[in-house]
Amino acid sequence: MPIYHQTYRTFDGTLRTRHRWWAIVKHEFRVLFKSRPFLVMFLMGYPQVLLRVLQIVAVDTLASNKNNQITQLVQQVMALKITEGMFFDFIRLQAPIVFLATILAGSGMICDDLRHNLMDVYFSKAITWRDYVIGKFMTLVVIGMIFTAIPALFLLGLHNLLAPGMETIRATYWLPLPILAFSTLLVVPCALGVLASSALFSSERYAAIGVFMVLSANLIIGKSLDRANEQLQVLAVPLALNRVGEKLFQTRRPMVDISWEWSVFILVLVCLLAFWAVCRKVKRAEVAT
Amino acid sequence: MIEIRELKISYGDTHALQGVDFSIDAGAVGLLGPNGAGKSTLLKALMGFVRIDSGTVTMFGKQMPKHALDVRRKLGYMPEREIVKPKESAVSFLTFCGCLSGMTRVDAMERAHEVLNYVGVDENRYRKMETYSTGMCQRVKFAQALIHDPQLLLLDEPTSGLDPEGRIEMLDLIEELGRKRKITILLSTHLLPDVEHVCDRVVMINKGRIVVDGPIEELTTAREGCVEVRVRDNEQAFLDALVRAGFTWRRLQTGTINLTVPKSTNGKTVFEIARACGTQVRHYRAVRQSLEEVFIGAVSERDHVGAAQHSNPQPETSMAK
Repeated sequence: MPIYHQTYRTFDGTLRTRHRWWAIVKHEFRVLFKSRPFLVMFLMGYPQVLLRVLQIVAVDTLASNKNNQITQLVQQVMALKITEGMFFDFIRLQAPIVFLATILAGSGMICDDLRHNLMDVYFSKAITWRDYVIGKFMTLVVIGMIFTAIPALFLLGLHNLLAPGMETIRATYWLPLPILAFSTLLVVPCALGVLASSALFSSERYAAIGVFMVLSANLIIGKSLDRANEQLQVLAVPLALNRVGEKLFQTRRPMVDISWEWSVFILVLVCLLAFWAVCRKVKRAEVAT
Repeated sequence: MIEIRELKISYGDTHALQGVDFSIDAGAVGLLGPNGAGKSTLLKALMGFVRIDSGTVTMFGKQMPKHALDVRRKLGYMPEREIVKPKESAVSFLTFCGCLSGMTRVDAMERAHEVLNYVGVDENRYRKMETYSTGMCQRVKFAQALIHDPQLLLLDEPTSGLDPEGRIEMLDLIEELGRKRKITILLSTHLLPDVEHVCDRVVMINKGRIVVDGPIEELTTAREGCVEVRVRDNEQAFLDALVRAGFTWRRLQTGTINLTVPKSTNGKTVFEIARACGTQVRHYRAVRQSLEEVFIGAVSERDHVGAAQHSNPQPETSMAK
């Protein structure tokens, strides 16, 4: 028990007025990194990074000797070569981890706040629904980027450090842009989809199941329509995403033969729809009509 | 600080507020009304949480909801509904609320500890909020409204769910903030004793209209011809003599006797009868009208006006008059 009389003290500091959404991002990260399931998921996202690091180290250092057996192996096995295709494959293979991590982090973000009546409290502070949406969205985007763009750029830097020279620079100078663009195209629909599900469903569990169901249904429909017309596969978001990735990284082995322009259109449409659902719900939580 | 003019708000066909007019400069004001009267809607209008059909809400000299952000920086809001952040401690939650208000994390955390101490959450502040009792949640809810040191506090049913002891403690805290710290308070409740405990002024609202607005002291004026007394020695003889003199009496649960003084006599007669009976008058005071009586009177009066209005429809302005 305090020996002094605890009384009300006025606050004489100053209140920040800009970048209010940043407080939400920081808080969400603080909470997420205290959660054990999220930490496990976080660690699961890094084995591939480790393997790619080993691949780059092996190819760039050991294989520099022409007589080395690894050189011969690299020349024969296409998958071991450090090309734009490797970076594309790296980000593509991270997609399931990004998807799961986003669901784990984001499926309760909005519905829990609504369920526990926290919106009234948040919006009684100096934030608007825009700050709230940006804060939640940026959290998920950063989480996605932690698994895609950031390690991919790190791998690119490592490759340039271990195999310095004009030849490497000439082969890779253009890669940061496709890495960032493809990561963004992967992360943003994922983040907005999960947030939309969280806004539309009443609990974290339903929101997570909802996202899985929609994605599965989307893939099934896309694949089914393939029989009628191959171009209709573009309706399956994961296939559309792959097609845009292939175009960005200029890989010469397209897995699906669909129009990349339509693929971009589908991805943008999904983002817009999800964004509209999130904004509508959160805006209504701030200003009832 | 708050100025509301001809405020009308409706949810679809339901008219929640129908031309509300009042202003608050300072002090503690009670917002009273039965369930569904429009109290919470009025508070939400002050926060910018509802769309205004017509009329104006000006707070701190700024128009709402246009300048909602500037205004929210200066006010604290304690909502009626229970809030909880299950997986977080009260300190973590309040620190976040402080950061949302624009404080740095260090400031917010320091302030969170201070405010939680002040509302009496003490060491429980480190526990997860899902383990809190209703009373504790209520205190945390109050603390979050204070985190950024607001100039105006909007409290919606702050004592709901509290035990009698907790209720008194909460009301004392609110009273202290209003009287000593000069924070303006708008307390919305349907509990009349809460308003009497904390506020100097009361605004009564019924069916979306303000029916009474004034200082409690003035509203609860002395009732003509009614006094309350407490006496010692020969009480029965004293009461019999009073009845013979034309008085009527009623004993309250507290032991106090309420007397109705006949028009032909006055209060002086009570002392004369007491002296004659050898009774000592220990307490003598004019009976004041209770806030409850004012409230019931105002609400039922409005209902009558409303009923008359329905049977003989007249323009809006004539009813307001």
